[in-house]
Parts: sequence; C-alpha cells; structure tokens
Amino acid sequence: MFAYSWLILLLPMAGFIGLSWWGNRLPRSGVGLVGCGSIGGAFLVTLVVLADMLLLSPDQRVGNVVTLYPWIASPHFQLDLAVLIDPLSVFMLLVVTGVGFLIHVYSIGYMRDDPEYSRFFAYMNLFIFSMSLLVMAADFFFLIVGWALVGLASYLLIGFWTEKTSAVLAARKAFVMNVIGDVGMVIAAFVVFQYFGTLNYVDVFAKASTTFSPNDDGALLITLLLLVGAFAKSAQVPLHTWLPDAMEGPTPVSALIHAATMVTAGVYLVARCNSLFMLAPYTMYLVAGVGVFTAIFAGSMALVQFDIKRVIAFSTMSQIGYMFLAVGVGVFSAGLFHLMTHAFFKALLFLGAGSVIHALGGEQDIRKMGGLRHAMPITFWTFLVAALALSGFPLTAGFFSKELIIMESYHAELGNFLFWGMAVLGAGLTGFYTFRLFFYVFMGSSRSPGAHPHESPMVMTGPLLILGSLSLLGGVLGPWTHEFLSPVFSGVIPLHHEDALLESITVGVALGGIATAVALFMTGKDRLDFAKQMLAPVYDVLFHKYYVDEIYDFFIVKPVKAVGAFMEERAEKDGIDFVVDQVGAQVREVSRGISIWQSGSVRLYAMNMVAGLVTILLFVIFL
Amino acid sequence: MDTNFVLFVSAAIFCIGAVGFLIRKNPLVMFMSVELMLNSVNLLLVGYSKALASLDGQIFALIIMTVAAAEVVVGLAIILTIFRTRHDLNVDHINVLKG
Repeated sequence: MFAYSWLILLLPMAGFIGLSWWGNRLPRSGVGLVGCGSIGGAFLVTLVVLADMLLLSPDQRVGNVVTLYPWIASPHFQLDLAVLIDPLSVFMLLVVTGVGFLIHVYSIGYMRDDPEYSRFFAYMNLFIFSMSLLVMAADFFFLIVGWALVGLASYLLIGFWTEKTSAVLAARKAFVMNVIGDVGMVIAAFVVFQYFGTLNYVDVFAKASTTFSPNDDGALLITLLLLVGAFAKSAQVPLHTWLPDAMEGPTPVSALIHAATMVTAGVYLVARCNSLFMLAPYTMYLVAGVGVFTAIFAGSMALVQFDIKRVIAFSTMSQIGYMFLAVGVGVFSAGLFHLMTHAFFKALLFLGAGSVIHALGGEQDIRKMGGLRHAMPITFWTFLVAALALSGFPLTAGFFSKELIIMESYHAELGNFLFWGMAVLGAGLTGFYTFRLFFYVFMGSSRSPGAHPHESPMVMTGPLLILGSLSLLGGVLGPWTHEFLSPVFSGVIPLHHEDALLESITVGVALGGIATAVALFMTGKDRLDFAKQMLAPVYDVLFHKYYVDEIYDFFIVKPVKAVGAFMEERAEKDGIDFVVDQVGAQVREVSRGISIWQSGSVRLYAMNMVAGLVTILLFVIFL
Repeated sequence: MDTNFVLFVSAAIFCIGAVGFLIRKNPLVMFMSVELMLNSVNLLLVGYSKALASLDGQIFALIIMTVAAAEVVVGLAIILTIFRTRHDLNVDHINVLKG
C-alpha cells in the first residue's frame, strides 16, 4: 500500500551521497538544486502518503509496516528492513521534510558565500535522511540507528566550521552528551528484547499490556532507560548543557536540528512508546516533572543572555519542556501539536535571527543590534509573528498549542496543580525573554553605528514568509491533529476541557510577561538598571546558567581527567610501558652480546663454515 | 675408470677451492674458488652416476651448472658495483654490514 514511502528515505540519502561524491564538481546552483530538490521530493512523497492515508478509515491507518526485505532471520531473532507508516510517523515526516525543505531553501541564501557549500548540503541531507529513518523505523533497532545518525549529523553540522575551536568543542560536547543517551537507548532495546523477544513496535506494543501490569519493574526499567535517550536528545535537565553550545553551528542548522526536528525526537519517542509509558505512571510523572522544570529552568536562563541564538536555544529547551509536560500527563496529541507549531515558529525565529546575523556580518550580540525594524521589514514582521506565537499571544499558533498543554497539565488524569502553576510561570517567562530579545534587536536605535544592515535576499525571506503564515495560522490545525493522531494513542482520554478561569490566568500571565518586557526595555532605562541592581545575585546565577557547566566540570570532568592523568602516570607509564620497555631493553642487551659474531669479515664467516663442515665430517666418520 | 680415483680428484679439487676461498682476499679469485668447489661436486656426481649406472647424478650436475651460472651473474654484478663505489676490492675492507 505504502511501498513508495521508501522514497522518503532514498531521496535524501541519494542527495547526501551525490553531494559528497560529486558536490565539488557541481556549480553552486546545482548543489542547491540537488540539496533542496531531494528534500522537496521527500516532502512531496510524504504528502502523497498523507493523502493515501486519509483515504483509509481511522482504524486501518495504524500498523502499516512496509517491509523492504527480511534482514536477519534466525530462530530467535527476526529483523526486517521495514518502515512503519502510521499517523504518528506521517505527522513527524510532514514536520521534518516540510520545515526541513524551507530551511534548505533558506540555506541557499545564508550559506551563499561559504567555501564548503556542497559539504553543508550533503550533511543537511544526511540529517534529513537520519531523522526520517528515526521517525519511520518500525522497530527499536532502526530507531537506534536513526537516533545515532541524527547525533552524527548534528555533530558534523555543529562543528561545520572546523577552523573555529569553540565550534569543534561544542560539537564534541553535544556528541558526548548524546552518546550518553544512545547508551540508554541501546540498553532499553536489550531489555525490551528480554521481555518481548522481539524489537518490532507492533508486536511489542500489542503485547505490552499483557506482559506488564502498571508500574511493573520491567515497564519502569524500559521507560526510564528510554528516557535517558529522550532527555539527552531533547536537551532536558540534567542533560541539557550541550544545546546552548550547539549554537556554534551555522544558523540554518540551529533552526533545523536544534529547534525544529532533532531535539523533539525525545517527545516523539515517548509518544511512540505511549503504550509502554502508560504502564509506568511513575515514569510519566518524571517525564512531566522534568519537562515542566526544564520549561522554567531554561526560561529563566534565557532572561539574561545576550547572544541572540542562545536566547532562542534556551527557549527551545523550555518549549520542549512543555512538550514533555504534555506527553507526561498523557495528552500525547497536545504535545505533538505543540511540537508542530513550535517547529514553525522556532524555525522562523532562528531563520529570522540568521537573517539579522547575516545582515550585520556575523554579529550575534544583541547589545550591538537595535533599530533593525526599518532596515529589514520582512524579517521584522515575521520575527514579530514568531515572537508572538512563542509567547502564546492569543490566536497565534503557539497560543492554541501551549494553552492546550497548560490546561491539560491541570485537568488531565495525571495532571495536578503544581504542574499547572509551573507551566503558567514558564509562560510568563517566555513572554518576557522573547520580547526582551525582540526589543533589543529591532526597536530603539542602532547600537553599532558602523553597520549598514540590509534586508536578506528573496531566497531567505521566502521561507520566512511561509513559516510566518504557518506560525500565525497553524493553530487551526489543532483539532485536526488531535483527530488524525488519535488512532495511535488508543485508550488515551480525549481532550474536552474548557476552563475559562485557568485559560484567562494563563493568557494574563503571558501578556504580563510581554508587558514587563515593554516596561523595562521600551520605556525606562532607569527602571531596567534598578531591576538589575535589585536582582544582581539572581542575575549572576542566571547569566552563568546556574553554574551547571561548572558543576559538571567540577564533579565529572575534573575527576575523570584526574583519574585519567593518574592512570596515565601510574598504570600506563609505570606499569604497561615499563614492562614493554623492559622487554625491549633486555632483548637489545642480549642481542648486543650475540651481534659480536656478525663481524662483517667474509673470510671469517667462511672460516667458520669450513670449521663447522669439518666438525660434522669428523662426527660422521668417527662416531 | 676407477671410482676411487674420481673421488680423490674430486676431494682434492674441493680442498683446493676451500683453501683458496679462505686465504685469498680478492673477491674475484674467491669466486673462482667457489666455482672450483661446485665443480668438484659435479665431478663427484658424474662419477657416482657412472658407477651406479643411473642418469640422476648427471642431471643433477647439469642443474648445478645452471644455478652456478646464474649465481655468477649476480655475484659479478655485486662485485662490480662494490668496486664502482669503493674503488677497492679487498674483502677485509668490506665489512660495513657488521652487527
């Protein structure tokens, strides 16, 4: 039925291979065409899949496994090269290839002057391939393959500018953090196999409710191990420190990988394994708790940062926290709806930021920006739309999705008042830091007199406009998303909560955050200074990101390095090296004694030979 | 012909070759001594071949001559090269390959 869905994987893969081999020989326009064309093609195929799926009745839409061929067939373990086409994977593919395509188009303009143009597009195509594999996988095995490959693509793209030391270090940090998650995932797959004897989603999830009763050890173990992977990939506390540093990569990378798609893989994972997670309510509480904690934790750090991309990065962590809150309280479709709207407006924010950085010749410090609203009208308006959507301003896309999550964090079966309160606080923070950023960048007057900013070319503003309209109007997709995804989340309670009081409080707090930003950054400079003085200690802690990096450095990096240094000195040099050196030295001593015999005098050799011959002869004759 | 006679001649030539090899310093002469030793063995093989009425020994002698010819080619080339580089063919001076 969906046999052609393999094209979604093959097109980006072909793009990656083609650009890697022949990219340097193609003209720039050719590279852009191949790089974007492969993703655009994948998006079109996804649309066809979607159309085909909508023709089916809802209960026929789940569990469509498309097998390419059986890969491993042993009596105890079967593994097919297969993809799973169901509403969840199609939904994720729409986001990945759709937003991915727009960002690829934008990259044509953004990376125009980069000498390694084709390498960039090759990596980007590799990423789309890996991400598609991740969301299309029909079993835990290929999930992990995709999971690791997106980590690789992320590593390659963060460190894309290899001559920049900070970028290379950031790439390494991101990779190490992600590998921690990968290890969790792999062990989770082992445990799944131990309990179910298979890795296929369809079989595992069908057997889950008969294998486990709620809060069984096995269910808790599997879900907790999966969470290690989810939290590492989605930059949730305590594995979040790599994401701000990942902003060292090119801005389209931040938009695609570190905002719209890869970092939401953790949310996808929880949603995909919902039948396992629903059997582990303790884990669900952990998911929601960590999510909502990250939402305000990251939001508070975003309040005081001055790097335009870092502010948005912290905001990404915070919004993913909301998604985890949603899936943690059991309203999976709300989490995925927020995933989609977030992909729109956060990609838009990053691309807008990229447009600004591009216009200012690489400047990222918002203290040196300002007054860009006249120079860059399209960027200004689309950024405003994205900022409003991010803050949850009524009737934008972000409003519907975030409102739904905050409402459900109280009303859902697993929700409670604490979750709701923290989520509302986070919404207030979001409004504040978003508009602080906005005012710094676009309002007031320019703070770097030498710069002559200009609007970006059409190839960059086009995607901005498309994403802008999606961020503005994407909210109408809410009910459709819920209905479309509901077959995947069988047995999960439907959404029907209307609570005008809670809703107005949430909106009020979000608008309050925006208003505070207006009050501090638009009008009174003295009020801002006063606030800074009042909150100086808090400000310091926030500016240093709660010293988490320093704490990790002190408790993990330094001890590990100390152990490493000790082992190098004592075990390596005094132990292994000593033994090896001694063996070598002794052999050399013995050889030196023997080598006297090799005098170099041919006649002496001949003498010895003859003497030996005579000796043997004498033995033969007389003995 | 008496086999013992062949044996004695062969042994005598071999000893002349061995002694020549040991006492001379010119590699060319040493080479000739080696050839003497080789051919003494050939003589022995042919002698026994006749005594035992078998052709094996003669075939063997032919093979030895072939190998000896090839060996001389290589050896002379080496000697020539050494002479070109060092202008000196005293084997006692050619001892750079000591351990």
